Amino acid sequence: MSLTEQRPSVVSAALAKDRLGVPSVVFFVISAAAPLMVVAGSVPTAYAVTGVLGVPFAFLLLGAVFALFAVGYVTMARHVVNAGAFYAYAAQGLGRTQGVATAWVALLAYNALQLGLYGIIGSAAEPLLRDWFGASPAWWVIGLVAWALTGLAGLLRVEVNGKILSVLLISEITVVLVFDVADVLHAGPAGVTFDGFTPGSLFVPGVGAALATVVAGFAGIESSVVFAEESKDRDRTVPLATYLGIGIIAVLYSISAWAQTVPTGPDGIVKAATEQGPTLIFGQAAAHMGGTVATIGSVLFVTSSIACMIAFHNTTARYIFALGRENVIPSVFGRTSARTAAPLAGSILQTALGLIVIVIYAVSGLDPVTKLFFTFGAFGGLGLLTLLTVTSIAVIVFFAKNPSRETAWRTRIAPALATLALCVIIGMTLINFDTVLGVAPDSVIRWILPGIFVVAIVFGLVWGRVLKATRPGVYANIGLGAQAVGGSAK
Amino acid sequence: MPLIADFRLFIDDRYNRSPISSPIVVDGDFSRPSLAHDLFFVMHDDVTGRPRLHPRLASLALAGAVVGELMLAERVTLDLASGQDRLYATARHATSDPLTHKVLRHIIEEPQHPVTTWLVFFASTIYTDVTNRMIAAKLLNPPARHLLKKQPAAPADVNAAAWPLARLNLAVQRREPPSIRDRVLYGLFAATGGAKRALWDHDPAFVTAMLATLSPPLQRLIVQTEVVVGQAVISRR
Repeated sequence: MSLTEQRPSVVSAALAKDRLGVPSVVFFVISAAAPLMVVAGSVPTAYAVTGVLGVPFAFLLLGAVFALFAVGYVTMARHVVNAGAFYAYAAQGLGRTQGVATAWVALLAYNALQLGLYGIIGSAAEPLLRDWFGASPAWWVIGLVAWALTGLAGLLRVEVNGKILSVLLISEITVVLVFDVADVLHAGPAGVTFDGFTPGSLFVPGVGAALATVVAGFAGIESSVVFAEESKDRDRTVPLATYLGIGIIAVLYSISAWAQTVPTGPDGIVKAATEQGPTLIFGQAAAHMGGTVATIGSVLFVTSSIACMIAFHNTTARYIFALGRENVIPSVFGRTSARTAAPLAGSILQTALGLIVIVIYAVSGLDPVTKLFFTFGAFGGLGLLTLLTVTSIAVIVFFAKNPSRETAWRTRIAPALATLALCVIIGMTLINFDTVLGVAPDSVIRWILPGIFVVAIVFGLVWGRVLKATRPGVYANIGLGAQAVGGSAK
Repeated sequence: MPLIADFRLFIDDRYNRSPISSPIVVDGDFSRPSLAHDLFFVMHDDVTGRPRLHPRLASLALAGAVVGELMLAERVTLDLASGQDRLYATARHATSDPLTHKVLRHIIEEPQHPVTTWLVFFASTIYTDVTNRMIAAKLLNPPARHLLKKQPAAPADVNAAAWPLARLNLAVQRREPPSIRDRVLYGLFAATGGAKRALWDHDPAFVTAMLATLSPPLQRLIVQTEVVVGQAVISRR
């Protein structure tokens, strides 16, 4: 704190009691990544859509890239205000105009990841409803129920309680591990092979598509630094929790993605995943361990998806709120619901977008899993990759401008390596974006979707310039989040 | 003589009586109804006492009000030069009221904290403290338990409870800046985002103009209250 502090501070001690330790932060971070939803939803879809067998290797590879990224990320988090937001890094590293552009990319990416979830909830709940009631409504009816629930939770600021979240998360991880063991014990005719872990199985046509999906599986991990202000030890808690979270996710998802291929054999997984989709792992579990275990898994799949939706909804709404407070977007988005302390306008915007997307997909009869969940997930994943790249560059520039006692590995080498790796991954994703969308290689739409990000960046840069010229007071506070109203007092 | 006695029944001089009896306490504005009490009334229904605001936001605003009381009484101020809005005491002598006294002692003990840290710290206990102070002052009835539902502490006198909000409403309606105390009251209430809901005709431009007339420390107190409210909204817990 300061030099005048000699005896233990009553204030600091009282506030510290309420702070978060490493386990709490890890729980928050991983639960946003929703393990069962990724293992049951994303992984089979990735196999089915991309036909790439190297998904297990992709998780390990991206885990390594994320860890590399995290080195600079958590280091800079110690030095900046509003550490929870990517655009704050860009604003404080690369300049405020670039910060605005980053904010717009982040808004798009997070919204896409959130909206995509409405596509998976139907297939998560359908088998259960059919089991219990003999019939199930269309996916979009279930989607709308989940949509209403999420919207209401957002307005009332219903946060899924930390304890419930922990119980859910531990049950999810247990179920995933039990399924994995059962899969491995019931190997197909090919026996237990480790093809999925070889780089050769990943670097085949379609690799970029697989990588984009896998990135979406890690989404949420970057939120660890949000807790910097609320953690017990700003210098230790957040980095430790971040690396732990990345490690757990990478290893758990990798093993589970591999285990799914064991009963079918590497040759059979794409066909099985295409036919069964998100029911694949529950079908396997039912065959190996009986219906009850599979049903428990299915129930957790639904709860996991809903918890993930609420978490992402709230994250995005808060992001919008912070931008509104800075006047980067209209200040109406910075308004609070005094009754519930919820970021009101951001939440309503999210809910409105959700309704539009569900209605469009329902009316046009598009497949919710491959065309909504997967496409939006990969699109959001691409945005997330862009954000990670920009942030890594921002870290390098920030420490070049503001010398500190941090090591060169943290401030230059690791961020540079991360930037390089991320650029390669973005390139591969763009090359394979036709596979992601399931369209012909010469289709225009494959360029239109990534082009949306380019448009957002251009608009952001222009908007940043406009703010600088017309509202210098607002411009000066870009990147400060909730503190923007207080000016640059820090 | 009996006539005068009857009269006294109708005159509520609760607010005019000076609680200051100690000769050590010379200045200060603790004889007036407290800013925190007024804010409490503004933030709660004047009949039922039901809160209009989320408890966390209400607590932060009340913390701002108690610090504001000390500022108005010239016991503490903000060190604007530090760039951190540090809160420090300008007078060490006691206040007549135990709650503001406790708050002042804390600030004297640890002068190193910025005002946002203090607001978060005081907010953890201030709601209960202010409620208890108001119950002790007979401004609120103690919370009652009806069957299974716990009733909030309701105002003892509906008119007294409605008066602060009415003053703010009148000020907006006449577009006349109210007293300095009421300007701080309005500013703190607006900082929570509650003004739009509770006032007839909340006009942000009027509020901005009105707050600009306050002294810089009071302005910063209100701004920093808005900052901690924003942080509370963004926080996941």
